[in-house]
Amino acid sequence: MRTELYALLALLLGMVCLTGLGDESVLSLYVLFALAAIVTVGVSLLMGQAGQVSLGQGAFYACGAYTAGVLTTQGAPGLVGLLAAPLAAAALAIVIGIPLLLLRGHHLAFATLAAHLIFLSVVGEMTITGGDVGLQGIPRLRVGGFAFDSVRSYAYLSSLALLAVVIIARNILVSRPGRGLRALSTSEIAAASSGIPVALYKLAVFALSAAFAGLAGGIYAFYMGYLAPGSFPVLLSIEYLVMAAIGGLGTIAGGLIGSAVVLLLVHALSRLATMSGMPQTAPVILSYAVYAILLVAAVLFLPGGISSVITPAWERIFRRTRPGRGT
Amino acid sequence: MNLGMNLIEVEELVVRYGSMTALDGVSLSVSKGEMVALVGANGAGKSTLLKALSGVVRRAGGRVRIQGLMAHVPEGRQVFSDLTVEDNLRLGAYRSRDRDTSWVYALLPELERTRRQRAGNLSGGQQQMVAIGRALMSRPDVLAIDEMSLGLAPLVVRQLARILTELNQTRGLAVLLVEQSALLAFSLCTRGYVLETGKIAASGTTGELAQSPLLKDAYLGSAGKAAS
Amino acid sequence: MSAFLSYVLHGIATGSSFALVASGLVIIYRVTRVVNLAQGTFAVFAAFMAATLLGAGLPHGAAEILAVLVAAILGLLAGVVAVGKRGTSPQASLIATLGFAIFCYALEILIWGDQPQSFPGLAGSFEYLELEFPKQYAVIVVVTLVVFALLEAFFEWTYVGKALTACASNPYAATLVGIGVVRMSLLGFMLGGALGGIAGVLIAPLSPMSYDSDLSLFVNGFASAILAGLKRPVFALAGGLVLGIVEALIAGYAKASYQSALALLLTLAILVVQAARRPALQGSEE
Repeated sequence: MRTELYALLALLLGMVCLTGLGDESVLSLYVLFALAAIVTVGVSLLMGQAGQVSLGQGAFYACGAYTAGVLTTQGAPGLVGLLAAPLAAAALAIVIGIPLLLLRGHHLAFATLAAHLIFLSVVGEMTITGGDVGLQGIPRLRVGGFAFDSVRSYAYLSSLALLAVVIIARNILVSRPGRGLRALSTSEIAAASSGIPVALYKLAVFALSAAFAGLAGGIYAFYMGYLAPGSFPVLLSIEYLVMAAIGGLGTIAGGLIGSAVVLLLVHALSRLATMSGMPQTAPVILSYAVYAILLVAAVLFLPGGISSVITPAWERIFRRTRPGRGT
Repeated sequence: MNLGMNLIEVEELVVRYGSMTALDGVSLSVSKGEMVALVGANGAGKSTLLKALSGVVRRAGGRVRIQGLMAHVPEGRQVFSDLTVEDNLRLGAYRSRDRDTSWVYALLPELERTRRQRAGNLSGGQQQMVAIGRALMSRPDVLAIDEMSLGLAPLVVRQLARILTELNQTRGLAVLLVEQSALLAFSLCTRGYVLETGKIAASGTTGELAQSPLLKDAYLGSAGKAAS
Repeated sequence: MSAFLSYVLHGIATGSSFALVASGLVIIYRVTRVVNLAQGTFAVFAAFMAATLLGAGLPHGAAEILAVLVAAILGLLAGVVAVGKRGTSPQASLIATLGFAIFCYALEILIWGDQPQSFPGLAGSFEYLELEFPKQYAVIVVVTLVVFALLEAFFEWTYVGKALTACASNPYAATLVGIGVVRMSLLGFMLGGALGGIAGVLIAPLSPMSYDSDLSLFVNGFASAILAGLKRPVFALAGGLVLGIVEALIAGYAKASYQSALALLLTLAILVVQAARRPALQGSEE
């Protein structure tokens, strides 16, 4: 397990270094990646460790974003908005989780999808959120004297958030509740009879993954400065699922790898498709097609995701340089 | 591929589930018109053997040869609960295409009474009869029955036993009777095998097997002890 | 009163399409234990196909039927992706159908572009009790009733229909009896494809479809299926009609933008209440 931790830290250190270099376009891609990774780690935990299928993480992302946006446009300081974002998302998760987690399997999947749609509908109607048109003019984040007003600053911020999320997730995975979680995903009945408070754990993971998504959403609100229901379509929830599945459900590394792979691929494809000579719809077609093929290939042929291939390889390398040590 | 009188011939069969070996070099045979018993405790590998015979699980080694048609009546009845008895029977003929059910009703008159009832609503004994009837519809040469007596009252089991014997004697149907209860199996069959953790521990006529000290304690329980 | 009636009639029309989508979902689910996230895609694809064929000069009726056949083939392909590989778990198959649906997005945009499409249905409208409603409503209702009657007949009276039900009821026993589970699964998917296709060609004249219309069709279809219990396809008809009428009433009397949200809320409420009444941990749900 230790080698995995070192691998993750190394990866993150690399990311932090990257944010020190890189030009605007690389950095903006990086911000997207970091935000997606934050959400995806949560999805990966939720689906892989606790065995719950969620097609509605985008709603928590949106909740965090709108919370931060509404609070700051109403005059609250930026930091308050940012911190309130994950809390609001977690609160929402608890409120809808209590009835929803009574459901299983595809009923739960449908319910989370429905929850996302209902959330979008509600947000689109409220005036405080700007309704269908959206919320404009979200003030730039200011903490202390420091103003986050460049892409680089958001790259640092999202890296920090990602690091925090990874550490929290890591600690949970190796803890006793974490093992209880894994027992949950294999058999609820067995878990319950071993004294694990099943309902409480399910709700806790649901709320935690929502909090992650909410945090990412909060940062997104400040980064974009503008929100609309259209920024959070159901397809967004599906994207997170795709990233988690491709990377490897249930692992933190999977969440990171999945988001990176999908985002890079989609970006590369749009660059390819916007070259002269290609029809206007080419980028969309290509990204959907590659998305789909990746997803199907991952789920049929590599159920552990890409991380199931990379992690053992990494461990082998590590063992070679430290002879005589066990894992 | 002439097996002579043998309908089923199993040689050194090996079956693995992942890293666990369920069957480790099992050999047995069933000839035309015979009633053969296969007894063993839970987990010995009896059901696995039948699944290997009907092709549901793959062999890791050894040979299985079946001459003619073998119908497998699975453990736990496994009727199609949402369909009627009549439909269950007719589906039994899926391979053979001869869907006439009248001869099965003649053999199992109790089924005729419940013809239009939903199979899932029947009693255990009736469901077992449906399962047997369904297997018969494919006009098999040998019937392999897994744990027929499980969960059924002795009276019902006796009735089913009578039916099996009648099928064997009047229609020459060979039977491979797989049971935890050696008492039942040995009383019906002429020859038998004992399966223990994936291996054949003993074989011979049921008379011989019933006398074996190995079996008396393990399988025949107090009745066996009293008889000795 | 007339407003109420017109809402109800509109609800019956849309509800019929929900019911058709739902019946496809139910059949596929019963036989394969997989929830087909691409169910709405069949409808959209068929609608686009029909529009193209009509534009190419094919007469009404022939174009729609051909489009439905294409949808059936699409269903077959979805089935191959979802259950073609041995050992795919239902959760994995669910995600695989999602992948298939996304791939169809790419295909649809490639062939037809990303703008909404429609085609004229039965022209003109009826007049009854001072109400005017499109003749297409009648087509929808008649075709839906016929389809459901055929479905019932298929499952109740034909051997293949019984074999499908057997597969759904007990796949192990079905294998023993010689019923090929994979083959039946693919048949189920083909049926699902056709049913989705029929829904698409019926509803397209009333509301233009674009490549992402499949989501709302799926959500409504799934909600209808759940309302009716994922058991017999025929119950899906009741579920779909109820949902369609409820949504139409909400759209008419409250705000149109609330219609799907409230209908979804209703469905969720029913689901949760059902689950709450059942004792917890009653073994696997499906």
